[in-house]
Amino acid sequence: MTGERPFALVLLEMSFLMLLGPLVTGIIQKIKARLQLRQGAGVLQPYRDLAKLFRKGTVQADTTSGLFRSIPVFVLAATVAAGALVPVFRGGPPAVPLGDALLLLGLLALARFLTAVGALDAGGAFGGMGASREMTVAPLVEPVLMMVVFSTAVAAGTTELGALAAHRSASWLLAWRAADFLGFAAMLVLLPAETGRIPVDNPDTHLELTMLHEGMLLEHSGPGLGCMLLASHTRQVVTLGFVAALFLPASPMAAGSALGFLIGAAAFIAKILVLALYLALVESSYAKLRFFRIPQYLAVGFVCALSALALRIL
Amino acid sequence: MEVDPHLSLIAACYGTGALSALFARWSGRLALGVGYLAALAGAIAGLWVSLDVLLGPPRSALTQTLPDLFPFARLSLAVDGLSAYFVLVISVVATAASVYGPAYLRAHSPDAGPARQATQVLAYNVFLGAMVFLCCAGDALTFLLCWEGMTLASYVLVVSDDRDGENARAGLLYMVMAHGGTALLLVAFLALTERAGAFDFASLRAAAGDLDGATRSTLFFLALGGFATKAGVVPLHVWLPRAHPAAPSHVSALMSGVMLKVAIYGILRFGFDLLAPVAGPLTPAWGWTVLTLGTTSAVLGVLYALQQHDLKRLLAFHSVENIGIILIGVGLAMIAWRRDEAGAALATVALAAALLHTINHAAFKGLLFLGAGSVLCRTHLRNMEELGGLARRMPWTAGLFLLGAIAISALPPLNGFVSEWLTFQALLGGAGRFRGGAGLGVVVSAAMLALTGGLAAACFVKAFGVTFLGRPRTPHAEHAREAPPSMIAGMAWLGALCVALGIAPGYAMRLLDAPTAGLLHGPGASAVLTARGPLVLSAAFGADATALSMPVLAALLVALAAMAWIARRGWRRAPLRSAPTWTCGMSPTARFDYTATAFAKPLRLVFATLYRPRRKVIRDTAGTPYVAKRIRYTGEVVDLAETQIYQRVQNTITALSRTLRTRSSGRIHAYIAFVLAALMVTLLIFGVGPQ
Repeated sequence: MTGERPFALVLLEMSFLMLLGPLVTGIIQKIKARLQLRQGAGVLQPYRDLAKLFRKGTVQADTTSGLFRSIPVFVLAATVAAGALVPVFRGGPPAVPLGDALLLLGLLALARFLTAVGALDAGGAFGGMGASREMTVAPLVEPVLMMVVFSTAVAAGTTELGALAAHRSASWLLAWRAADFLGFAAMLVLLPAETGRIPVDNPDTHLELTMLHEGMLLEHSGPGLGCMLLASHTRQVVTLGFVAALFLPASPMAAGSALGFLIGAAAFIAKILVLALYLALVESSYAKLRFFRIPQYLAVGFVCALSALALRIL
Repeated sequence: MEVDPHLSLIAACYGTGALSALFARWSGRLALGVGYLAALAGAIAGLWVSLDVLLGPPRSALTQTLPDLFPFARLSLAVDGLSAYFVLVISVVATAASVYGPAYLRAHSPDAGPARQATQVLAYNVFLGAMVFLCCAGDALTFLLCWEGMTLASYVLVVSDDRDGENARAGLLYMVMAHGGTALLLVAFLALTERAGAFDFASLRAAAGDLDGATRSTLFFLALGGFATKAGVVPLHVWLPRAHPAAPSHVSALMSGVMLKVAIYGILRFGFDLLAPVAGPLTPAWGWTVLTLGTTSAVLGVLYALQQHDLKRLLAFHSVENIGIILIGVGLAMIAWRRDEAGAALATVALAAALLHTINHAAFKGLLFLGAGSVLCRTHLRNMEELGGLARRMPWTAGLFLLGAIAISALPPLNGFVSEWLTFQALLGGAGRFRGGAGLGVVVSAAMLALTGGLAAACFVKAFGVTFLGRPRTPHAEHAREAPPSMIAGMAWLGALCVALGIAPGYAMRLLDAPTAGLLHGPGASAVLTARGPLVLSAAFGADATALSMPVLAALLVALAAMAWIARRGWRRAPLRSAPTWTCGMSPTARFDYTATAFAKPLRLVFATLYRPRRKVIRDTAGTPYVAKRIRYTGEVVDLAETQIYQRVQNTITALSRTLRTRSSGRIHAYIAFVLAALMVTLLIFGVGPQ
């Protein structure tokens, strides 16, 4: 079987996602600010923050092991590599096979694992608290995400994201069945959890009552923190791209022409913006849930995903 | 009688090792050295033999008749693809354990006398030899003799480590459970040998050919019961988390990484070979039972592991989990196996996933147990709450343990991910093919497997983080030194294997060809899974194939990490400064570190229904409730199988014997009357012979 996306395109898509990541965060922050009747920082603010961090020196806790300094590097590498699995400009399997939706979730899990390990290294209570909470929520989110993947994969017969996206664009909304709607609903419930946003986590604060992901970053500084932040921006856009590949149509145009390429890029950005708007609206309209309420919140997603699967298979 | 040089070589090595226990008469160290060297030679010979069978030209099974020890049975060995694969798994871990063992024993128990050292050398070699020849057994008697040898030798190793009561109790429980399982196996084997009139597997296979369905299933479930006890499948696992940690660490690695796999070998041998009907699929109930047992073991194993604070006990519970994952693959292969094309491909993928996970688990669990052993022999502590900060003191051990932790958490790019990916693909293929309730059952199993992976990651963040990171919590941990080079070498060998099997699984598929093709009579694993070359694993159940290329992924990760490394160094080599961790203005001590109990608390509350956690807090206050002089906290979780099944059985037995005790008057004639009555009843029920 020959693929439809050459390896160079896959690498281009990966870099594109990494560069797009901070912008998406910036846009979500801007929308949130406007919803709160604030002016807010410019959408490019995350880039400025990153540039500042990468120029700074590093302060490191004196109890950390040799591992600590390499954590941000591997977290960033794993997250960006996950981006190589998301079809951006067009659907279809890649020419050089790399992996599927399960590998994408695996790479994101690897990044989370390493982040949590790094959080325990400095020996502060905040890092431990963040790691403990993050590793509590993650095992509850992952199986449901997998079930959503399965519910679409059983119909398409593959878990390859490009092929799934191509399959989806062949039969969009009008051909959707109940299972698709339920799967999408489950995904929308999980999306804030996977991107670390309200009502599951709050990316804006470092208060110990709310923090999951931010708590784990406390001991990083300078370029290391920059890597971690860039990784979390990338993670967010990769997750959004993953949802888009599973449920939203990909560009039907051939990627060979410059026009098809542009349309693909524009369509991808439009899909990401829609999902970003959803995240911003949810984050502005709901309060953070008490930590032990989160399993109940995720259970809603679980029920949707299970029903989607059952409808698909029975 | 032709003598095959390969098998005799293995036997000679382990035999020499066992006999070298005699050197302990002069010097315990000499016995230890020679014994472990011989074991290492045996393990390398095992690697050579198994690779020769697996990768060599296809041929009929390597057979060998043994000297006639018994008048009623001829003993023989027969090595086919499946046997060779399990010999490979055993030899891989045995190599590491034999390199690691002597230094560990010297460091861990320096005051052991020559008698104890002799026992350990003898039992160690017998244990390894019994496992290898069990997988090579060509007849029921050899199988059972080796099975018993394996159990007894491992029992001796469990109770040999320390002379405290806990080891003895763990050993006793192990012995009782193991023999209960052996009894079931004996019944299954004897029922077959009685029909066949002979002990060799070929006759048993022929005799099983004309069994009716009900008898066949009864025999299978008897054997499954026996093997499941050995494999530590929930709810038969209670002995495992007690016995495995009690043994010396390299023996724990062998027991967890290898001995449980021997039971998997037994299930495969019985299900697909000895009891498989000549035509038609296996009874569906077999596969579904195995799949259900596997799924339950996977989830409960990891959930209980999560709440353990004893490093080796935690690892032992993870063995329950991983056996569950292997059984998911085995069960699915049993359900899907048909002699037609589509079923054969699905069953091949499922079985390949199970077999690959078998060697993967052997590699990473062996590595983790050896890592825990290094910690144990340098700190003499197994409780993680008393450790901490070891990564700075034992960097090699920490790095290798982290490698094992990533592998066991099924994270890319290491080997655990690959076999779980294959299991997922097989489950998805099954869901697509079965549809209906069966399909849903398979998908629920897949979701449970995903949950297992996530929880394992949480558990190993805890295990690694609390043990190796932060500040040392006790002086023992503070004064730990790096383990000796030979112990690190043993771990490094398994670590390298984890990486190699993760990055180049396509080449490992060639090893699976002989066992999968031999058992399923279909295409080999590499024909199904590496159709696009050895660099790509692909599973095709629908129109599109799903492909996974671990080498490309590894190259991508390395390149990205290199770029990120350069970016992190900064554009102008910004200064690096070291400062104490911020602890809200107080002087930082080890008490600020998150403990294992605290780390696992959220999950303890989320899964409270399963854990039934109990906690007791005693506060000594000074007059006002706001000033606490002392707080004592105790908390525990229960193992549901233990409280709901074993304790109830125990209580019933105790209650029954209490009732009986009131009847026992001490007068002989009353007892004689009881015996007589029992005899009469037995005769009435069973005494009616064939008319």
